[in-house]
Amino acid sequence: MTLSGIVKRFSDVTAADGLDLTVNDREYLCLLGPTGAGKTTALRVIAGLTVPDEGKVLFDGREVTHLEPEKRNAVLLSQTYSLFPTMTVAENIMFGPDIRKVPEKDKEQMLFSLLDLVRLTSRADSYPRELSGGMQQRCALARAIATSPDVLLLDEPLRALDARLRIDLRRDLKSLARTLGLTVVHVTHDQDEALVMADRIAIIRAGRIVQVGTPAEVFDEPVSPFVANFVGQSNFFTGTVVHSGPEGSVVEDEAGNRVKARPTDVAVGEKAVLAVKVGHTHLLKLDAAALKGKIERMLFEGRVVHVDVDVAGAGRFSAKIPASYRGRYQVGDDVGIGWNRNKAKVFPYPEGGLENELKVD
Amino acid sequence: MPVVELKGVSKRFGKVVASSDIDLRIEDGEYVTILGPSGCGKTTLIRMIAGILEPSEGQVLIGGRDMSGIPIEERDIGYVFQNIALFPHLNMLENVSYGPIVKDMSEEDRQTIPVRYLELVNLLDRMKVFPSALSGGEQQKVALARALASGARLLLLDEPLSALDARVRMDLRYELRRITKDLGLTVLHVTHDQEEAMTVSDRIVLMRNGRIVESNTPEMMYRAPKELFTANFIGETNLLAGVVVENRDDRTLVEVRDGTVVEAQPSKFEPGDAVVISVRPERVHALEEGLNAVVRTMSFMGTYIRITAEADSEDILGFDVPVPRGRDFNIGDNVHLGWSMASALLYPRPPGGIAEAVKLE
Repeated sequence: MTLSGIVKRFSDVTAADGLDLTVNDREYLCLLGPTGAGKTTALRVIAGLTVPDEGKVLFDGREVTHLEPEKRNAVLLSQTYSLFPTMTVAENIMFGPDIRKVPEKDKEQMLFSLLDLVRLTSRADSYPRELSGGMQQRCALARAIATSPDVLLLDEPLRALDARLRIDLRRDLKSLARTLGLTVVHVTHDQDEALVMADRIAIIRAGRIVQVGTPAEVFDEPVSPFVANFVGQSNFFTGTVVHSGPEGSVVEDEAGNRVKARPTDVAVGEKAVLAVKVGHTHLLKLDAAALKGKIERMLFEGRVVHVDVDVAGAGRFSAKIPASYRGRYQVGDDVGIGWNRNKAKVFPYPEGGLENELKVD
Repeated sequence: MPVVELKGVSKRFGKVVASSDIDLRIEDGEYVTILGPSGCGKTTLIRMIAGILEPSEGQVLIGGRDMSGIPIEERDIGYVFQNIALFPHLNMLENVSYGPIVKDMSEEDRQTIPVRYLELVNLLDRMKVFPSALSGGEQQKVALARALASGARLLLLDEPLSALDARVRMDLRYELRRITKDLGLTVLHVTHDQEEAMTVSDRIVLMRNGRIVESNTPEMMYRAPKELFTANFIGETNLLAGVVVENRDDRTLVEVRDGTVVEAQPSKFEPGDAVVISVRPERVHALEEGLNAVVRTMSFMGTYIRITAEADSEDILGFDVPVPRGRDFNIGDNVHLGWSMASALLYPRPPGGIAEAVKLE
């Protein structure tokens, strides 16, 4: 499935601004971006529910840009599940037009396996109002799968669910898609969800795809400060590149702090911003560290403790320490901050300023 | 001083019991979250404290005063809803000025207080803007400023971050805690998100089926939950069914379903007792010997890899390895899983089964 140069304007809003994206056969692709980035529009263009102003939609190399939704074999599961309230779970699942053509004896077998897949066998005769949010979601999913679509389009499928339940259903949904060999485009604003579920993540912002890659690629090799901060939090250090070589680069700020990073294409003398993931930032002994600061705040997060350190002149740096280390530090302590230079990436300083570049809201 | 006390509070809607004999005390200046799955009764509870609902039985006291029959506007509380409820035709300054005007504050306070609170939420530069021009996160910050500007010392937050994107939510929860702690407010915050509860609270009150399951600091709820439901709800955990074979002073030995004997914390269980072992994924390690298991899935989580493995005991176990060590594992590999005795907590095996005891919906 390919989107090529898709443009879609709604009066004064440009929801798609030259969108290019290819989804491979049997791939689970997460389309990740903040609210208003154009995620749902992209999904609706694939489904045929929105006709783009410019650009092409291709399924298996065949252009379908102006083909009606029913003829595309792509099913969109919207945020609101819209089950039929007067039909049981089983009736809802078997409602799809394609299923009505299936011979009666095969239907039963199909229903049985679908109910088993979404773990609703015991609720086959229940009505939607008798189901929890998670069950309704799974019922809608079974109905979508029953039509055996070439592409399954999921618009924030877990958004309406409780946080803890969402964690369990991520795994279930992913393994279901894999078992059935489905091609899935899953829209989400939740970077953890995308990391766990996706074969590849496409990051969308202001109607454009800014990066596509495996979870490890977008996490470790972000193309911009925005991606560095959106997929896992990052710390930023703004300064000037003062050294650049094959072994790495050095950035210095106005206060004279010098920190190391990977090799960079940003030239010596240019204004730059260094990004390093919070999870790759470490608390160090004072004498061993290039940056020194005072612990402002420590927040227990379960497996780790989130620590904010105020570095004079350079702002706030955060680190995650294992929960078992928490006794070693307390608020007010002077600590060093550092990282493995290979975990830090240098970007040209963004034209509109760093704050604007990082805006997620 | 806004100490909040609930004494034997119950609420019934027809045959449905939403709250059942709740006793709870929230100290002055304490930040408490009421956490629980959908339908656990947490929203009913906060509404009874606000005065939106009257309890069927029991008493709500604020600052030692019985609140029966006292309407919401006379309870001197700030209230922030899940769905942002700003006045659409008023700009930000006018929205925040609402409380001081209604409260008939002095002319000087009417001028200075709204400005002070807009500054506190870092939105002073947007004071002349209307709600529709702000993002969801900004609107919710203004809603908070408006709730605070009324001068209330007790703040009730009803799922204040649920409608926002994951990344925005993360930034805002740090802000919530900073602001309310700076002002020394008493806060009651309702949420279904255990991560949110863990990072903002002094104390978490976990609810299920209209009752309080357990209440403690975030750290104790994570490290030493008293109830099986808590262990699974607050952070992920591995649960294994077993039978105690020996109880020593310093450890308990438990046999799991394939006959392997594993270690757990000291306990009061007797040999022959049916138990459940709970051990967090970050505490499980691949070792030379231990539970024999086969690697089934591997997910990149940014700074670590979550591996799930199916043990000979038929339990599915999750464990975490640092990213570089992920190369040592492949799907289908045989591994031996173990943990330190202190990492494994024991619970009596629930008569209705483990799945039923930790069910989320």
